[in-house]
Amino acid sequence: MSELATVARAAELNAQKEAHVQELRRESGRPVIGYLCCFAPPEMIRVAGAIPYRITGRPGEPTSEADAYMEPYGCSYVRNIFAQALKGRLDFLDGLVISHSCDMVQRLYGIWTYYRPLPYSRLFNVPHQVTPQAERFFMRELLFFKESLEQFTGQEITKERLAEEIALSNRIRARIRELYRLRLEHPPLIRGSEMLELLLAGGWLPPEEFLKLLEDALEEIGKKRAAQGPQRPRVLVWGSLLDDVAFYRMIEEAGADVVADDNCIGFRVFEKDIPLSEDLVEALKDHYFINFQCPRTDRGPGRARFDYIIQRAQEYNVDGVIGYIISFCDPHKFDYPDLRDYLRESGFPMLLIDDNYSFAPAGAIQTRLQAFVELLKSGRALSS
Amino acid sequence: MTASEMRRAKRHLETTRKMKDMLPRFFMRALERRFSNEPLAWCMVGVPPELLKAFDLLWEWPENFGTICASRLVAPDFIKAAEGDGYSPELCTYVTNTMGYCKLWKERGEPPEESPIPGGMGNPSMLLGSGFICEPRYKWFQAIATRYLDVPVYSSDPLAPPWDVDPHDPRIAGHYKALLREDLQGQVEFLERHTGKKLDLDLLREILTLSHKALAYWRDTIYLRKAIPCPMGATDYFSAIIPQMYMVGEQEAVDFYREIYHEVKDRVERKIGIVEEEKYRLIWFGLPPWFNLGFFNYLESLGAVVAIESTYNVGDWFEVDLDDPLEAIVERTWRRAVKMHEYGTEVMPELCNPAVFGGFVGSRMLEEVVREYSLNGAIMHLTRSCRAVSFGEVHTRNRLAELGVPSLIFESDMADPRLWSDAQIKTRVHAFIETMAGRSPAGS
Repeated sequence: MSELATVARAAELNAQKEAHVQELRRESGRPVIGYLCCFAPPEMIRVAGAIPYRITGRPGEPTSEADAYMEPYGCSYVRNIFAQALKGRLDFLDGLVISHSCDMVQRLYGIWTYYRPLPYSRLFNVPHQVTPQAERFFMRELLFFKESLEQFTGQEITKERLAEEIALSNRIRARIRELYRLRLEHPPLIRGSEMLELLLAGGWLPPEEFLKLLEDALEEIGKKRAAQGPQRPRVLVWGSLLDDVAFYRMIEEAGADVVADDNCIGFRVFEKDIPLSEDLVEALKDHYFINFQCPRTDRGPGRARFDYIIQRAQEYNVDGVIGYIISFCDPHKFDYPDLRDYLRESGFPMLLIDDNYSFAPAGAIQTRLQAFVELLKSGRALSS
Repeated sequence: MTASEMRRAKRHLETTRKMKDMLPRFFMRALERRFSNEPLAWCMVGVPPELLKAFDLLWEWPENFGTICASRLVAPDFIKAAEGDGYSPELCTYVTNTMGYCKLWKERGEPPEESPIPGGMGNPSMLLGSGFICEPRYKWFQAIATRYLDVPVYSSDPLAPPWDVDPHDPRIAGHYKALLREDLQGQVEFLERHTGKKLDLDLLREILTLSHKALAYWRDTIYLRKAIPCPMGATDYFSAIIPQMYMVGEQEAVDFYREIYHEVKDRVERKIGIVEEEKYRLIWFGLPPWFNLGFFNYLESLGAVVAIESTYNVGDWFEVDLDDPLEAIVERTWRRAVKMHEYGTEVMPELCNPAVFGGFVGSRMLEEVVREYSLNGAIMHLTRSCRAVSFGEVHTRNRLAELGVPSLIFESDMADPRLWSDAQIKTRVHAFIETMAGRSPAGS
């Protein structure tokens, strides 16, 4: 449990999020639309009068319910999510939006909507390359998405309301970036697991409440904390989706601080604001397609595509990088050898944890993390 | 496991046996041109071969190279080399086969001697990828061009509508076809830039005409397999796709498919099956184990024939107006996507395929296929390293069960024989065959 009251509050809320969202649904009369991945803008879902809900898994839980519909050789995260649906834990969803981020998620959409149809469902299709034709396609897809939401809720997504919603989400992004800056300190003023706990609340809390939570966290840290405690090795975590704080806690228990990240519930989404330009659809395209750094998007060959990770590692003064890849996650597995070598040449050792979305066997993972932390400690000692 | 468990396929048709003479002649011609340093493209299935032919470009298919390495049992050498570089054993083994090949080539400064093709795949001057089927195909050429070969890449990025969107809605069709058209145009511009040639539309039209003639014979040949006894099996089927991949747009390829059509037709008329006593008729789902195509002969020894396969098949989508040949490729691709959509794409991979082969058997198509091909059962190859093609088999099994057709799903791989467990697979096949015994064909 975090000693920060705001983080403890977020953890408490997150633990009961399904119940909270159902209450919100009852009180507001608004439908809840679950979503996966970061290409379809939740801002649009909100403006259409629905409640966006980022679906998360339960790492390590058995997924045998999925066996009747899905192969064992599939992303364990996808199996885990579908098992939640089959267990009835997501029955409160009125709608489902899945972005075609990767092959497995695309298949999840088909299987889910075939066997468990919902009142509203939408596969948000996403090109795999950043080309002029891909950008045009993405913008048309945004307009189809907008139209489908309007048809479902009966509420028009006006430009004015969309601009307001984007402005609100930009305020959230600004607060998150402020919190990330606290991790530039050595030791960091907020731990990786604490940061993720806050971010997870953003997946379902109404944005006004999420903003308040972030502001409270900033205020609390500002009052209570100064850079203190042991100066432990600093790491950046790169890789597949992490929607549970358990892995960051394991790293922290192994003796390192997670001070930066490059994964999809992390800095990738909050690094930049959505420009409040004249053409908001174009702004959403720039933000959710062009600027969103998921390895599923082919940005051409060469190592320049990893430069931002090196820069982030340097900016946050990390000692090493821990890769976390969920089994069968092809986009990350393809990038790993090149990224590992590039990091090494730039002075950052890398440890890869290949996991089936269970963080188990915990002992074996913990041993590898501890060995890596020892390596980082000796590296820091040598360089200081 | 020993290599002796792996068997080369016994083919049944004279025409496919003739490939042994035809293909080396073709490859020798290509090899001579390679020595004169003509541009060579490594391509993925999904790139229209007619376009390559229109640019008079030399090309090689690393995926097909993977199947050859698999059939000669050398793929593990390359796959292990890639794994040594950090590529996961979970990745597509066609990919890791190529990666390992590139790695060894780079280390040794010459094509690896393990290559089953003399001179290997040649030194590419460009990579032409396609996102058709799966995302590893984007990452594959991206990684090769980052790590091993500093050559330009063009990966085409076709997308198809999800299963619950109506592709007949003109707005939806316009949305997807615009991407296809612009993507193809980008591919043409890339080829013009890197070959220094302008695309000759008249030549492309001629090539498409010949290509589509060959496809028409191939489609009609597949239809002939509805006959009882089945006149052609899986070993001939999987072998016979090669000429259209390498010799597309050539009269020799048209002749090959015409000949195969007439041979199969003759067998139908004379009621010659591929086994003496045909007891069971099967549909095969997934990629074949290229290292052990003899597995199909093993099935035949049990009286079970594969009458139809879910992959590499072809429909009527190529019957398009060739007046504007580029638009014809767009139209062919879109028609195929729409047809597949009508057949049910809820568990399909990315199926917008501008290439020649490559339909899938959708869930709504199953009833028709079971009836028309008089099927008793389905065998599904769950390829661990190719989730793109095998993910969805459980759903297909569910749909077949509704039709009263039993399915067997077994696990292995298309290129890595280390994942083949002969005794276990055969035990399961035996048990499965027993479940079919006594059943009359579901389609009768």
